[in-house]
Amino acid sequence: MWLSILGLILGVSLGLLTDIRIPPEYANYLSIAVLAALDTLFGGIRAHLQQVYDDKVFVSGFFFNILLAAGLAFLGVHLGVDLYLAAIFAFGVRLFQNIAVIRRILISKWSDKKEVRESV
Amino acid sequence: MKKKVVSRFTMILFVIGLMTAIQFNTINEPDSRDTRDVWEIRQELSREKQLHSELLSEIGTLDETLAKYEEASNDSPEQALKETVQELQQEAGLTEITGPGLQVNIEPSQEAIVTGQNIEQISPALLIRFVNEINRFKGIDLSIDGKRIINTTPIRDINGRTTINGKPIGTPPVEVKIAAGSMENAEKLYNYLKASPILDNFYIDNLSVDVMQPQEEITVEAYSEELKLEHLEAAEEE
Repeated sequence: MWLSILGLILGVSLGLLTDIRIPPEYANYLSIAVLAALDTLFGGIRAHLQQVYDDKVFVSGFFFNILLAAGLAFLGVHLGVDLYLAAIFAFGVRLFQNIAVIRRILISKWSDKKEVRESV
Repeated sequence: MKKKVVSRFTMILFVIGLMTAIQFNTINEPDSRDTRDVWEIRQELSREKQLHSELLSEIGTLDETLAKYEEASNDSPEQALKETVQELQQEAGLTEITGPGLQVNIEPSQEAIVTGQNIEQISPALLIRFVNEINRFKGIDLSIDGKRIINTTPIRDINGRTTINGKPIGTPPVEVKIAAGSMENAEKLYNYLKASPILDNFYIDNLSVDVMQPQEEITVEAYSEELKLEHLEAAEEE
């Protein structure tokens, strides 16, 4: 777990220190991509806690979701329909659901542990 | 198995962190872009150049003062300091100035006199415009109705009366004395004022402006009030 957080810190500091910028027109796409990535991440954590984690699904979902979201936004810009809202909505809802499931699992695990300790 | 999961999560989190940071950088980019065209940049450049030359001349004066100090430090440092104080007072307008210059009389116009109209005071707005017009020339000292105009002089309406330095000026005729530093400058100023559209503005207010020929000797009164600089502070050295 700590290694993963180290990865996050490494990524953030690399991004901030190199001061990479993308053209402001593409900022929308990147924000959706970040949302998609977060969605996949929490989906992965939930799957891991539910013991249904699959490496292939996780990694492919990560890249596929990002591409799909960015592609949808791109299409939306060119069609004049705010399709990126659909992506934001879908990812946002799923993000909340996943986090809720994760919270439930963690709470039940915690109370299980407590019960076991008390029975001992 | 466990190791693999952790490495995957690390990788994904790394990518997420990178993307977030890039997004942060992009959004935080200052959005004031340079939209000046060539002409505006030219003007800016000329302003900066002017500033540059002004600074250079200031450096020259200060160097001179420094040299004077060094020279004087052997015999009489007090004398040099006194001279500097004198110079500064002169620059601030605390001393009377006598030198080449010209006089401008602001009088009621003939039409106003003939038709018997009330002669009113010069309005502050008009006076400010007039002073600004004269101040286009550098190194000029002027007084209006015996009131010296310095850098902090307020010209405004107080209870319906036009005041300079907080003291009301009289109704026209009003004398404006301008010391121009040199006869050449005085000539220039004379020609400029003669052709200036500001005179028409005076005419609208039933006033006529009589710009007199430059004289060799004109005396501009000293600033008589106390200088109040309570809001001014010395700039911090960088």
